[in-house]
Amino acid sequence: MFRFTPYVVKSLWGHRARTALTVSGTAVALLVFCVVAAVQEGLDRLARPSEADRTLVVFQENQFCPTNSRLPEDYARLIAEVPGVRSVVPVQVFTNNCRASLDMVVFHGVPPGQLLAARNLELLSGSFSAFEDRTDAALVGQAVARRRGLEVGESFTVGEVTVSVAGVFASPVAAEENFIYTHLDFLQRAPGRNAVGTVTQLEVELAEHADPDATAAAIDARLRHGPVATATRTKGVFQREAIGDLAELIGFAQWLGYACLGLVFSLVATTTVMAVQDRIKEHAVLQTLGLRPMRVFRLVLAESLVQSMAAGLLGIGLGMLVLGWWGFSIGTEGVAIALEPSLRLAVLGAVVSAAVGLLAGLAPAYQAARTEIVAALRQA
Amino acid sequence: MPLVEIRNLTKQFSKGGETITPLNEVDLTIEPRDFLSLMGPSGSGKSTLLNLLTGIDRPTSGQILVHGTDITRLSRARLADWRAANIGYIFQTHNLIPVLTAYENIELPLLLLPMTAAERRKRIAIALEAVDLTDRADHYPRQLSGGQEQRVGIARAIVANPTIVVADEPTGDLDARTAGHILQLVERLNAELGMTLFVVTHDPQAASVAARRLQLDEGRLVESEAAAPVAALDAGRRRA
Repeated sequence: MFRFTPYVVKSLWGHRARTALTVSGTAVALLVFCVVAAVQEGLDRLARPSEADRTLVVFQENQFCPTNSRLPEDYARLIAEVPGVRSVVPVQVFTNNCRASLDMVVFHGVPPGQLLAARNLELLSGSFSAFEDRTDAALVGQAVARRRGLEVGESFTVGEVTVSVAGVFASPVAAEENFIYTHLDFLQRAPGRNAVGTVTQLEVELAEHADPDATAAAIDARLRHGPVATATRTKGVFQREAIGDLAELIGFAQWLGYACLGLVFSLVATTTVMAVQDRIKEHAVLQTLGLRPMRVFRLVLAESLVQSMAAGLLGIGLGMLVLGWWGFSIGTEGVAIALEPSLRLAVLGAVVSAAVGLLAGLAPAYQAARTEIVAALRQA
Repeated sequence: MPLVEIRNLTKQFSKGGETITPLNEVDLTIEPRDFLSLMGPSGSGKSTLLNLLTGIDRPTSGQILVHGTDITRLSRARLADWRAANIGYIFQTHNLIPVLTAYENIELPLLLLPMTAAERRKRIAIALEAVDLTDRADHYPRQLSGGQEQRVGIARAIVANPTIVVADEPTGDLDARTAGHILQLVERLNAELGMTLFVVTHDPQAASVAARRLQLDEGRLVESEAAAPVAALDAGRRRA
């Protein structure tokens, strides 16, 4: 079955410049496709029902940007009394940018004693005790740390907030790795914040059998007569609504991904057609030696497939490296969409590369297989 | 039983509204170990007969029986299989695959046959030795002279030990000295290896090495009764 593999490989290698141009162009298109797919995957992760749907977020009514939501910290005590509530974590959020951004920095101020219970964090460096001991200490998500080159012991400033890195953490929730955790009171007292006694949001962990919607309604009803009206939603719904506008843009960007696939098809098909037209006589010779037309068909298809797969390996591989190494995220309203490499993305890239390669090779392969041997042998 | 029986073979095609008949009810019998040459002026249908005999072209009518099998009735795919097992084709312009080495070019027909890698290596070594190119096995066609390329082409044609080896103007692209060497080699294939050879040529010297000499004349095949010297053939053609 693979006896003609050297012929296929050498045919491509024999036209190195053409093959290299096709593979590199195709790889760039697949790299873009990979990034677009990673954005979509990140968005899907936020929208997918998960643990986030067992956590409620109490936010100021009609607000999404953390800068504009100010709830009395005392609401935590009132919410804890609502049936179905297991625990309440007050969170002060500070972000450098409420609009869509590729380098959004989001601080979450949380009482240190509640942080480990509320979040599943794995410290990669530094220590949690160092975080507890210093009021200006911060635990930094590894994606932010990588993007900004932050290490334990360093201090950095965003806006008017200056913190010292006490640890770098990883999280099973990719978006979490784009956050920075500080002490709640530190962030409330940060210069220019004037937020003592208030929080941006309250995160409510539900009891085992509590109904999220009913509990959310009960919380809003309980606080209706307070100084600030609230809107309580599951964390999943809150995130989806916060990034609603961005999601539309991402949906539009999907077309860019499809355009990349069209480009891949066009590049590989053009090269394969050229390769076939250059070698009409060669294919006639092969058939004269005894190759069946279907085998010639398969050989041309294999050439197309090898080019496309090589480009896929390069483009998707590069995409995985870039996504994994730089820890990109897109964020808005303090909610981050993490762009991270995944097995699903790699498999999708490989399948797409193979499918486009095969499709692009069909027409030229048919042309090669249908070569009129005698006429082709007469060619100079 | 003859190796090949060609019966009432006719080939017609249209060109510019005119029907051309390069082969008109041709009959021919080829016995095992025969060495035939076919001469005729350009456009007389020599190559057409060779193409029909190898199954890369279809006749308008008639039969070509090889070992009793009428190859004119085989499908394109079956014909390809039949060629792989029965035909060795020597081209005028060598037609080696440029991206493959001499060794790999010779190996091509063997890749189509049920054979182990060790058996392939053994056969290729024998074929390379037969054409005296063992030391050029790893060379690409561009690194070989015209004569060496043709010898690789001959090795490729004989390596699978085919039923019949056909050659279409095998010396047409070579200088006189190299052509002489190639003809000696072709002669040896028949005399020493017992291969059945069918050589199409317009070169009397090339035709003279064959035991049976055929001439195509207005679509009809004429066979010389006895081996005639080249000079006689030349004279005959001048008279015509």
